[in-house]
Amino acid sequence: MKSIGRLWNSLANPEKIPRLFALILGIVLIAGLFIPLALDNQQLYPRPAPQEQINAQDPLAPYDRGGIPFEERGIVKAQYPQYAPAIGEITAYLSPIAISVKNTTLYYGTSIYSSPGGLIDEILYYTRGFDTVLESSILMMAFVIASWIALNFTMRRDDE
Amino acid sequence: MDITILGSQIIGIIPLGDIVFYFTQFNLFMFATALAFTAIVAISKTETQVEAEFGKLGDRAVTVAKKEFKIRRFLAIICGLATAGAMITGDLFDFTLFVCLTGIVNIGIVGAVRQVDVLDAAYQYGLIAMMASLPLFGGAALILAATGTLSLLEINSLTYTTPMMILGSILLFLGVAGETGVAPFFATKAEMFRTPGSPFLLIIHLSSLLILVRLIEILLMINKPF
Repeated sequence: MKSIGRLWNSLANPEKIPRLFALILGIVLIAGLFIPLALDNQQLYPRPAPQEQINAQDPLAPYDRGGIPFEERGIVKAQYPQYAPAIGEITAYLSPIAISVKNTTLYYGTSIYSSPGGLIDEILYYTRGFDTVLESSILMMAFVIASWIALNFTMRRDDE
Repeated sequence: MDITILGSQIIGIIPLGDIVFYFTQFNLFMFATALAFTAIVAISKTETQVEAEFGKLGDRAVTVAKKEFKIRRFLAIICGLATAGAMITGDLFDFTLFVCLTGIVNIGIVGAVRQVDVLDAAYQYGLIAMMASLPLFGGAALILAATGTLSLLEINSLTYTTPMMILGSILLFLGVAGETGVAPFFATKAEMFRTPGSPFLLIIHLSSLLILVRLIEILLMINKPF
């Protein structure tokens, strides 16, 4: 009984909790290696076969979803198409700079500047717009906290 | 709307593209609670503690300057709004993002107290929150891979449960536990609730309680033990 009490007391130390959490997480992740992978074949966001667009010498590979802006819809699937009436309309939009880069190199799609400015990822910005709002708020809160701590615990520390 | 989730009828939905917020009696109540508490936090003033002086009969009031509690009140309001959003969202990835926002704001609330002990606890809590983002998003990704959808309304209508969905649920549980579940522990260990100007920090307790209840609802929806 005494040892159980000692165990609980050691768990009450905040420094022990991250280690315990990491241990449990490690056990679960290792156990996860033995779980059979049963992937769903009817994926909501379809992708072309790997290397298919690259072998076809498509400069937008692997992000080419086809379509002409406002004329022909690109291939974008939504979970609820009834809530996204204009889906696919601007999937193929490229900015003038993007068009000039696309014409000079075959590797535009895999370049770091291709997305999201040049090639609009409509899955992200149209069907899942609220997620992008939340992601930026998470980032903003992280910066608010970091700058507050930097200001008040380093620069203004002498004021007290 | 004739969709039933865990025995309660859907009252209404807010469609934002693929992300659908839905209301049932159960999560509407939790949503209203979170919003009401956030409103109280937004208008409340800080507590002033009165300490007895040693050796004399005088009292000493310990107050917190407005400059210091402003940031904590701001973070507490964001925490309340994120909790309220997590209550009604009908999208698994959206839920994990709300939880992540709550977690990072909790770190800020714990870390914005100008005491060394509290900052030490906030550092440890930050370590856990960093580790927990892996199982949080990894669990949601595994459930997406196993079911092919992120919408809770669609997952609710599935008739099967694969081992991969159970693994994803366990990871999701670990992630939520690490992001917000352990926050009250660190706040209490650092004696934050006895530091002057603290009462509205109780939003940490409320958010972790509500999010855990909501997580259990989501896990029941995914795994369908009944």
